[in-house]
Amino acid sequence: MLLQRDVYIAGVGETKFGKHKLEFDALGRIAALEALRSSNINRPDVIQSAYVGNGTNGLVTGQTVLKDLGMCGRMPIINVESACSSGGMAVHLAARDVASHCSEVSLAIGCENHSLHMQSGTAFSPAMTDIETVHGAVMTGKYALRAQRYMYETGATIEDLALITVKNRRHATNNPHAWFRGEISVEEVVKSRMVASPLTLQQCCGIADGAGAVVVCSEDMITKLGIEKPIKIAGTVVHSGPYHNRPRDITGDDIIEACSHQLYEETGIGPEDIDIIELHDAFTISELLYYECLGLCGKGEGLKFLRDGNSTHGGKCVVSPRGGMLSYGHPIGASGAAQIAACVKQMRNECKGYQVDPVPRIAMTLVTGGGLSGTEHAACTMHMLMSK
Amino acid sequence: MGDRTVDAKPVTFYHPDLLEIPADGSPPYLKGYRCRACGRLDFPKLSPCPSCWGDEFELLPLSRRGKLYSVTDVFIGPAGMKTPYTFGYVDLPEDIRIFCQLEGPIGSFHCDQDVELTVGTIRENSDGSSIRSYKFKKIES
Repeated sequence: MLLQRDVYIAGVGETKFGKHKLEFDALGRIAALEALRSSNINRPDVIQSAYVGNGTNGLVTGQTVLKDLGMCGRMPIINVESACSSGGMAVHLAARDVASHCSEVSLAIGCENHSLHMQSGTAFSPAMTDIETVHGAVMTGKYALRAQRYMYETGATIEDLALITVKNRRHATNNPHAWFRGEISVEEVVKSRMVASPLTLQQCCGIADGAGAVVVCSEDMITKLGIEKPIKIAGTVVHSGPYHNRPRDITGDDIIEACSHQLYEETGIGPEDIDIIELHDAFTISELLYYECLGLCGKGEGLKFLRDGNSTHGGKCVVSPRGGMLSYGHPIGASGAAQIAACVKQMRNECKGYQVDPVPRIAMTLVTGGGLSGTEHAACTMHMLMSK
Repeated sequence: MGDRTVDAKPVTFYHPDLLEIPADGSPPYLKGYRCRACGRLDFPKLSPCPSCWGDEFELLPLSRRGKLYSVTDVFIGPAGMKTPYTFGYVDLPEDIRIFCQLEGPIGSFHCDQDVELTVGTIRENSDGSSIRSYKFKKIES
């Protein structure tokens, strides 16, 4: 959507990702306080609205996060749920809130404790009311179907898919927020336990816990708060997934293509201009497909784009510089906000040991959500960020 | 424990609008529904029609054979489901895509294979009884 006035990010925060004993609300407060303090906000009555993304942790999650910070009673707190897109959607709504003059400064949080509430050794599935879930659908398997078809059509191999994990874990080597980091070989990825053919364990994001937070504000507030390196939200787009039960090309992605076209159109920024992207690499295949869907390369050229080093340091666009979901794990409602937090840190040259060089000026984030039958995804949220 | 036994009668899938298993022993078929107002064909049935909100439909038995668009063997499943099992998308000549389990050995299916409709167990209830539904299998020559 076109923003009615310029909107900026003042500060961001993120927890370390992984398995936590802390509940979602405590994780959310850690990220929120970091975002608030880095925005030079040191008391509870400055923020005028809050949007809190969470997928599975129950009711009134936002109020649960913020009451202990003295923020309840002072502002509307709105809870946002669209499965894996929840955190990104919370930032989108905070940006809308400021852009439409409803507030001057708004807080967006994505937080989740997934592992405390899930039976180990099982895979995440969509809602039991969904016809595909009743027939055994799990998210790993649905992405595996995309991988099988891509391999069938292009001749790509499991070893090729494994290169995505190898790259993203290497990117995360010195990132203290990432869960899985450092060198891993193609062989280790391929020989790890099979989850849903051809996706092995090391090609799937970990079931993790964590939080990210973003303080969004107007240009006036950036000045009042004394923010030295404001990051502009050049564009933010949310789509719902087109529903139909006809054959569709699952090596493409209708909702991601529509969402990115709109984002490019509204911002005047094209794929060739983007320095870094954090996207929905919940599985190796998704990052590979999304190179093509986002127009970083042509249809069927994703593997060449990867092999030529175009999606790593020194390439055309560094994809998943924080290490992506394959390194962070993917706490459903947290990831979308954490992606934005990670990009802002890159654009502020704050990523010692994993900083992209030269310091990125334009960043994009992409987070989809929901395994709803008849759609490729139920939701998709994208942001385009730009250094001022 | 005497002669108490669990009555593990198979239960057919939860919705009668999906699958017909004729009592006369003729082959089962999936039930497509065509909107009488705009002609849109859907499976599963959606009422009202999502194109025009029409609410009168004509039942159309769907083809029993189709092409397997993509397939995977699942080794880690949702809570309560036995693994491994196989699922995929089957494209029918009516321009309908069906998400379904495949009946046959693990590793025995591939993209663009011709498959046909069958009926089998897709999961179990907590009491151990079968939940049956549509599945697809290799075409027996």
